[in-house]
Amino acid sequence: MERVQVLSLCLSVALIVFVLHLIRRRALREQYALLWLFFGLVMLVLSIKTSWLEWMAEAVNVFYAPSLLFLVGIVLCFLLILHLTVVVSKLTERIIVLTQEIGLIRNELEKHGQEKNG
Amino acid sequence: MSYDTLKVCIIIPAYNEEKSIAQVISRIFRLHPEFTVVVIDDGSSDGTAAAAKAAGADVITLPQNLGIGGAVQTGYLYCARKGFDVAVQVDADGQHKPEELDKIINPIREGQADMVLGSRWVENTGYRSSRSRRAGMLILASLVSFFTRRHVTDPTSGFRAVGRKGIQLFAEDYSTDYPEVDSLVSLNSHGLRIIEVAVEMDQRQAGSSSISSVKSIYYMIKVTLSIMIRSVR
Ligand SMILES: Nc1nc2c(ncn2[C@@H]2O[C@H](COP(=O)(O)OP(=O)(O)OP(=O)(O)O)[C@@H](O)[C@H]2O)c(=O)[nH]1
Ligand SMILES: [Mg+2]
Repeated sequence: MERVQVLSLCLSVALIVFVLHLIRRRALREQYALLWLFFGLVMLVLSIKTSWLEWMAEAVNVFYAPSLLFLVGIVLCFLLILHLTVVVSKLTERIIVLTQEIGLIRNELEKHGQEKNG
Repeated sequence: MSYDTLKVCIIIPAYNEEKSIAQVISRIFRLHPEFTVVVIDDGSSDGTAAAAKAAGADVITLPQNLGIGGAVQTGYLYCARKGFDVAVQVDADGQHKPEELDKIINPIREGQADMVLGSRWVENTGYRSSRSRRAGMLILASLVSFFTRRHVTDPTSGFRAVGRKGIQLFAEDYSTDYPEVDSLVSLNSHGLRIIEVAVEMDQRQAGSSSISSVKSIYYMIKVTLSIMIRSVR
């Protein structure tokens, strides 16, 4: 086994263990947990079976196999970030609605309080 | 429903305006004691809410700052749920004169328009501002005129009145950040009639403006994008 292979093996195992840890602490929602586990597993498989990566690189005419890994990695990162900004937008929208409702409810409550007291 | 039984609500968005808000409210009540005035205190850190309450307004305090759009929409939600016929937006800084309220409400009372915009530029009025601000307003005015195919001179004016249809629409959908311009395009695309009337405006009476120069460039780009998205949707 080459050194770089050992390194990537360790990294992917660490990722999987860390994600499992986060799931156990309920710090990650299931949908994202699945996504990260999937990433981790793909990395793990590719670092054990380097021949698969080389085969794939050959299939798309990439001479230096690891650069295919970079390409895929960057594309996945972009997609994930795009997805996250969509999620953040949706959350912002929800927070606005909730803030407005709290304001309106508080206003009603205060009026009720005044009726009772005075 | 007869002419003067229309229920009118004045919506005042306010962010740290304790110095001017009370005067704005009492001037409105002096002329129109039958109106409801609702102040949206948008997470102010000063005495805005207390000052508004003391002046006799209904105050909605938001637990955090939503920005002008989210705050104003809260006002429209309030009007929609309480069944108001007319909602009028007035700034808390004293720029909008209560004496001009009838001018922007009457076309709605008479059924001539669904929204009335109080414009600084239809005729020459007392309002003055910096050259770059005026340039920005001019660009936005041409954009809105182009997209709505109507002649609009002052789309950034926050002095405006809408009838029931407009209240309903704004309660459901109002852009959060820089809503003045955007909402015109939205109303227009729903087939509501918008007209402009000339009004006098003052300079702000106290406190500080929320608009800085860096912000206004960002504002222009964002509003333009938002208008374009609205008109293709
Ligand atoms: N709810 C809410 N209102 C705001 C916020 N920022 C400003 N406002 C209100 O919006 C109104 C207009 O704000 P101004 O800062 O006067 O903006 P402007 O009238 O376009 O600019 P000037 O000509 O400089 O006065 C005032 O009633 C402010 O209190 C905010 O973050 N939230
Ligand atoms: Mg102002």
